[in-house]
Amino acid sequence: MSANNSHIVELRDVKKEFEDKKVLDGVSLTVEPRERLVIMGQSGSGKSTVLRVILGMLQPDAGTVFFKQFEITRLKRRKLQQVRRHIGMVYQYSALLSSRNVRDNVALPLEELTDKSRGEIDKIVDEKLDLVGMKDARDLMPSELSGGMRKRVSLARALVLEPELILFDEPTAGLDPVIASVIDELIINLSEKSKVTSIVVTHEMASAFRIGTRMAMLYQGKVIEDAEPEKFKQSQNPVVRQFLSGSTEGPILEGSQDAIAKK
Amino acid sequence: MPEEKKDTREEALIAAPAIVLQEIGGVWDNFLREVGSMFWFIAHTFDETFERVREGRVPFRASSFFRHAERAGVDSVPLVALVSFFLGLTMALLTGYQLQRFGTERLIPGLVSIAFTRELGPLITGIMLAARIGAAFTAELGTMTVSEEVEAIEAMGIGPLRFLVAPRMLALFFLMPCLSTISNMAAIFASSLISKAYFSIAFPYFLDLVRDALLIRDLITGVLKSFLFGLLIAGIACYRGLTVKGGAAGVGTATTSSVVTAITVVIGVDTLYNIVYVNFFPT
Repeated sequence: MSANNSHIVELRDVKKEFEDKKVLDGVSLTVEPRERLVIMGQSGSGKSTVLRVILGMLQPDAGTVFFKQFEITRLKRRKLQQVRRHIGMVYQYSALLSSRNVRDNVALPLEELTDKSRGEIDKIVDEKLDLVGMKDARDLMPSELSGGMRKRVSLARALVLEPELILFDEPTAGLDPVIASVIDELIINLSEKSKVTSIVVTHEMASAFRIGTRMAMLYQGKVIEDAEPEKFKQSQNPVVRQFLSGSTEGPILEGSQDAIAKK
Repeated sequence: MPEEKKDTREEALIAAPAIVLQEIGGVWDNFLREVGSMFWFIAHTFDETFERVREGRVPFRASSFFRHAERAGVDSVPLVALVSFFLGLTMALLTGYQLQRFGTERLIPGLVSIAFTRELGPLITGIMLAARIGAAFTAELGTMTVSEEVEAIEAMGIGPLRFLVAPRMLALFFLMPCLSTISNMAAIFASSLISKAYFSIAFPYFLDLVRDALLIRDLITGVLKSFLFGLLIAGIACYRGLTVKGGAAGVGTATTSSVVTAITVVIGVDTLYNIVYVNFFPT
C-alpha cells in the first residue's frame, strides 16, 4: 500500500482509544501541498491527537498515516526522527525549553541536527526571529516573555529546519484578540512566502476562518464535515451549525454533563 | 440479621487469603514491570547514544556534560566530605574503645580504611547522591515532561534519551568514583585525627598501618562499585523524571519515588555485589 504522492499528509481510517474512550474513531483526511487546513472541534474531541498521530508521537490503534511517501505508522525510530525534521510543530503552551534563552531555543534543532557552524546558525536564527518579529528578544529567557511572544518564538523554532509541513496546536488560545490576529497573519504570510503546508487545530471561530483554506470538523471521533470555508459556513450538518453559532440548543450537548448542568 | 452479618464476615475471612495473595501478586507483577522498564530505559539510552556516535556525530555537547558534572560532582564535594569525615571520626572512636580493651587499637587505621574503601565510601556517597542529585534530575526532567518540553524535543527529531539522559548518566558515572575517593580520604583523615588524639598513634605510623592493611583489590572493588552506582542512580532518576504523569503533584511523587528507589537499589545492589564478590573471589 503506498500513498498517492500528490498529498502531503493522508490519514486513512485512523482509530485511537485512551482508556476505553474512543478519541479517534475512523478519521480519514488528506492534506494537499500549500494548503492551510483548519481542524475544528470541541475541547477533547481529538484534534491534538490527530497532530500527534501525524508526528508519530502516538501510535494509532488502527489505520495508516502517510507523510508524503512515508508511512509514519510503520517507520522505525531512526527513520521517524529523520522524517520529523521535515515537520514543524507549534505547541499550545509553546513548549520552549525554560533553561535556554530565546536564541538557544531557536538554534537547538540546527545545533543538534545539522553540521552548520555557529556563524551560520546565528544567521538563520536571526532571520527566523526577524520573520516573527522577535529579533530584539534574542537574549531573553522564556519566563520573561508574554504568551504571544512565546508562541512567536516557538514558531521561529519550528521554522529553522525549513519544514514542508507545520502543525499548530491552538495557536491563538489564551491570547488577546489583537495578538491572536498577529499570529494568524503570521501563519498566513508564512504559508504564502515559504510555501509550507499548515495544519491548524483550533476552536476559535474568527481565527479559523481567517487562516483556513479548508476546514474540517471533528465530532465524536469522526470527520463530519470537510469543505472550503464558504461551503463550511453553509453546512447543513446540525452539529456544524450548532458549533458555528455557539448555541446551547442542538445535538452537541445532548446527554452530556454540560446539558444536565444547564437544566 | 446478626446471622447474615456473621455469614458475610466468614465469607470475607475465607476470601481474605486469596485477596492477600492477589495483592502480593499484583505488587510483585508491578515490581517486575518496573525493573524491566528501567532496564530497557538504560539500554535504549545506550542504543540511541551509540547510534549517534556511529553516524559520526557527537551524541551531546561537552558543555552539557560538564554542566551536569559540575552540579552533580563538584558541588557535592563539601557534603560528601563532611558526612564522611564525621563518620570516620565516629567509627575510629567507637571501634577504638572496643579494641583498646584487647590492646589492639593499632587495628583502627586498617579497619576504617578497609571499611571505607571497600564498602562505606561508595555506599554513603551513593545514598547521598541519590538524595541530592537523583532528586534534582527527576524534578528537572519531570517538569520538562509535564510542560511538554520533552515532547517538543522529540517532535523536532532529536532523541530525548541521548540529548537529556546520556549527559546526566555519563556525568554521574564518572563523578561517582571521584566522590567515593574523596569520601574515603575524608574518613581516613578523620580516623587519623582520632587515632592521634585518643590512642596515641602518630601520623607516619598511621599511614604505615593503612598502607599495610589496604589491598589493591579493596580499592578496585570500591571504584568499580561506584561506577555501577553512578549509572544506576542517574538511570533511575532520569527514568522517573521522563515517566512523570499528572502535573505538579506527579513531579513531587516521582521525585520522592526516585530517591526511595535509588537508595534501595544502591543498598540492594551493594549487598548482591558483596555476595558475588565474597563467593567468587574469596580472600
